[in-house]
Amino acid sequence: MKLTQRIEEDLTLIRLGGQLLGGPDAEQLRSALLAAVEQSSPHILIDMSEVSWVNSTGLGILISSHLAARQKGGALKLIGVSKRIESILSVTRLNTVFEIFPSEEEGRRSFSAASAGKP
Amino acid sequence: MERRDRDEGEVITFSFPSRLELLPVLDRLVQGITEQMEFDEDAAGEVAISVIEAGTNAIQHGHKHNQEKQVDFRFDMRPDYLLVTVVDSGPGFEPDMIPRNDPSNPEDLMRSSGRGIYIMRRMMDQVDFDIDPARGTRVLLKKLRRTNGRSPSA
Repeated sequence: MKLTQRIEEDLTLIRLGGQLLGGPDAEQLRSALLAAVEQSSPHILIDMSEVSWVNSTGLGILISSHLAARQKGGALKLIGVSKRIESILSVTRLNTVFEIFPSEEEGRRSFSAASAGKP
Repeated sequence: MERRDRDEGEVITFSFPSRLELLPVLDRLVQGITEQMEFDEDAAGEVAISVIEAGTNAIQHGHKHNQEKQVDFRFDMRPDYLLVTVVDSGPGFEPDMIPRNDPSNPEDLMRSSGRGIYIMRRMMDQVDFDIDPARGTRVLLKKLRRTNGRSPSA
């Protein structure tokens, strides 16, 4: 699994590549996501366009990270979701948990809109 | 392309060490088999996701990531269906792994585990477990062939 992240003022953009499976890779991702939530912004945008597939262990990592982000008032949102990953999110109904956007721009805009809506 | 006569069916067997990093190799093999059987794109994806889930369970729960142990796969390519058998020789199956509740229920939706078997059951036509604490676990995944307006045996 490949992981790069860009920490910006309002959000952290994480680009993933390869397979999201479990094992040592999973721990790397879990640590990176939790560190991003704790140390920078709880608004996490994950670019999945280079991820070939995700298994149930990978889904578990995304969920626990989303919960951590939510506790800090943020969220974990997805962009670049392939048809295959979309089908696994749909079967597990996790497409109702994660907001999924067709483009990075729309994902970014959703965080801006959420921030603007706050008092 | 003219299909070969497969009245008797064909069998492919495959084994690999219990390393999650090798699952992409399995993915390629499954893609090849579903192409041979002319599954449509959706069905092929469902088979691949399910076989990878079964392989993940065998590596993680059956063999506890012990690379000395091999996970065995058998693909029975029948005219009407594909039957995939995934065998591990671990200390036995944990019945708790089978979720009693639907993990897509709102109250269970945010749980971080317990989805693997549910995913297999939703994506395949039949999923059975042959559990023997002395021998390990055999998972049987069946997917029917649905050809576009043709009888599977035509």
